[in-house]
Amino acid sequence: MAGPVTTPAAQARPVSARHFVRLKLRVMGNNFRGQGWRVALFLVGSLLGLWFAVGAFFGLAAPGLIGNDRYALMIAAFAGGLMVLGWLVLPLVFFGVDETLDPARFALLPLPRRTLVIGLFAAALVSVPTVAVLLALSGLVVTAGVFGGWSAALVAAVGVVCGLLLCVAGARALTSAFASMLRSRRVRDLAAVLLAVVAALLGPLQIAGVAAIQDTDWDRLTGLATVIGWTPLGAPWTAGIDVAQGRAWAAPLKLLITIATIVALLAWWSRSLESAMTGVASSGPNRAKPEVTGAVVAQLFPRAAGWLRRDRFGALVAREARYWWRDARRRANLITVAVVGLFVPVMVNFGGQGFSFDSTEGFTPAGSSSPVLASLSMVFVGLLAAVTLANQFGFDGSAYAANVVAGVPGRLELRARITAFSLYILPMLAVVAVVIALVLGEPTWIGLMAGALVATYGVGLAVNSFVSVLGAYSLPETSNPFAMNSGAGVVKGLLTLLAMAATAALAVPMVVAAALLDDVWLWLGLPLGLAYGVGAALLGVHLAGDVLDRRQPELLALVTPRR
Amino acid sequence: MTGEHPALALRGLAKSFDGKVAVNGVNLDVPAGSFYGLLGPNGAGKTTTLSMAVGLLRPDAGGAWVLGHDVWADPVTAKQLLGVMPDGVRLFDRLTGAELLAYHGLLRGMEPDVVDQRAAELLDVLALADAGRTLVVDYSAGMKKKIGLACALLHGPRLLVLDEPFEAVDPVSAALIRDILQRYVTGGGTVVFSSHVMEVVQRLCTHVAILAEGIIKRVGTLEQVRGDRSLEEVFVEVVGGRTATGEELAWLAQ
Repeated sequence: MAGPVTTPAAQARPVSARHFVRLKLRVMGNNFRGQGWRVALFLVGSLLGLWFAVGAFFGLAAPGLIGNDRYALMIAAFAGGLMVLGWLVLPLVFFGVDETLDPARFALLPLPRRTLVIGLFAAALVSVPTVAVLLALSGLVVTAGVFGGWSAALVAAVGVVCGLLLCVAGARALTSAFASMLRSRRVRDLAAVLLAVVAALLGPLQIAGVAAIQDTDWDRLTGLATVIGWTPLGAPWTAGIDVAQGRAWAAPLKLLITIATIVALLAWWSRSLESAMTGVASSGPNRAKPEVTGAVVAQLFPRAAGWLRRDRFGALVAREARYWWRDARRRANLITVAVVGLFVPVMVNFGGQGFSFDSTEGFTPAGSSSPVLASLSMVFVGLLAAVTLANQFGFDGSAYAANVVAGVPGRLELRARITAFSLYILPMLAVVAVVIALVLGEPTWIGLMAGALVATYGVGLAVNSFVSVLGAYSLPETSNPFAMNSGAGVVKGLLTLLAMAATAALAVPMVVAAALLDDVWLWLGLPLGLAYGVGAALLGVHLAGDVLDRRQPELLALVTPRR
Repeated sequence: MTGEHPALALRGLAKSFDGKVAVNGVNLDVPAGSFYGLLGPNGAGKTTTLSMAVGLLRPDAGGAWVLGHDVWADPVTAKQLLGVMPDGVRLFDRLTGAELLAYHGLLRGMEPDVVDQRAAELLDVLALADAGRTLVVDYSAGMKKKIGLACALLHGPRLLVLDEPFEAVDPVSAALIRDILQRYVTGGGTVVFSSHVMEVVQRLCTHVAILAEGIIKRVGTLEQVRGDRSLEEVFVEVVGGRTATGEELAWLAQ
């Protein structure tokens, strides 16, 4: 075995995407080793994905199965377009991207950037969501096949595969670009604005969509579908239908559009990848401001938390408050809550018009919503705000050891964390309630909306206190605020859903009250909601704090990234 | 009280990860006022042992006592007497050095003005006052060790447990850390630290334990363990190192 090798290896063997895929599979496999519950969660997640995929498959194959090709183009364009938008926006908002293969780990290897990008791209394709989406969208192939025979089915299949590549490339490019922007403290405000624009784009689209449905002028909608079909959003999905409907010339053009978009996205990704590979540790330019004013303790407390007592609780709150702003990962979450929290209620309440009867008046903001709908949208915002804390200890990572060593009591710890988070969130929620009520032209609803909001936020805090203590998981120590481990991907998704479902269930009384109590609720909504929310939060912290006291070392082990 | 109880007592500490034994029954008595070096090669279980001793990692079996207080049954009292600097654990590094010290001080229930005074002194002595508003995450490795030490010392613990305090530290900072630790022990404190740098251990320690493959191989005062040889010789012999014959890795010669 020890044959002397006298010459250095002359030619390095070329590295191909295959190696990256195998590496990813190996890492995923090793993550599961000896962790039965992870395997179980992964299986549950996969089954859920499969379930939705099968449902979507039949939805998309419906025109073909029914044998009516009137809406085939429309379904392909709209469903496919929504899919692409979902892939672009959802990772930013909720789920993050799977960074099992952290680009930074490849920084030292002599790999051409091209090989790296293609390899990471191929590895990104190996995941449960991509398989589920591929399965779902093959419904389009069935439709195309029924109307256009084998040739159309073939084109549709190529289109679906290209479309999937487009989705994944888009998600990667966008999160990577956002990550490198958020990493630099100077442009964080710009990032916030951009994210707001992305979310804002959803609003008009939804309104236009609802207005179009309401019109029941399906021809106009077909026109819209045709237009979408020529954008990267719809091009890959509609190519097969075009062949089936006798527009074979369009198919190669649409595939070309798709491929050009994929290449452009990969090029974009490749550019931001470089900063992801090199700017690992530093969280921004090293600005040493030599002048230090005031005593040490005074420095810890931000101005907004200056009223706190200088004790354990105060220190915990002050540290958390600083972290919500300084940690890129947490800041990304805050921005998400702010943007989504403002835009979703607008969409829901204006979209509600679509279901009202006066379709002749066209688009009028006032009077288009109802107290129930307004309460529901506020429940969503409260839910979203509270679920940010579902993995609050994961944000800390191994730094949480400091609190374990100091023996911080569980209740104090949780109460302080909630207080610090609320320093940011409560003003934000107040703004949401007031702004939405004013935009709707129903200032008298402020009370019931704020009540629903605070109540949901409160019960959400209670639920998420438990989730954060029992279901914590480690976040990778990268500078990408959207990154997470692959094993954690499924776990996070399920836990988030679970926490949201529990919170929503607990918030139902607020909506029911809004539906049943009419005018009385305008006055009672806020005080009762406030009492319910605060009471629930206190009770939740009380109980979850006990659990935390018993499992501090275990929690620390959960949130410490494995190396 | 210091007379009857050792500063740190470990009894039968054991831990395995996924069926792999990391620490296999460690017994150790650290006398009060001693400067105790825990030696061992990489992967010997030093960090695991110390983590269990200070309440960061729950042992599978066995227990730990700080000046007679059970770390796992009565953590509050035990942890008050303890100052810890873990290795491979992040600090709350999105704070500045001063903020971090203030956080640790208040977390230990100290009075704000005492925190102010001690923290300013520590920052000054450790030459960290110049760092100003720089976040700890942007500190160099040596500076991170120093601020970690400052956090462990701030509340005036009776026992200091340090994991690899001299790892990745430049000679100037190392000398400073040595100096401070020596003064701390002279003042009646007890230090336990892990290391695999023989030279430092030989220079500082009154007592030594050699840990390998999860069990204590040698233990005693420095003289008892060393005998008339150098500590490095004893260490390599105990751990069972091998020496290169010169035949392998021939390709390293160009």
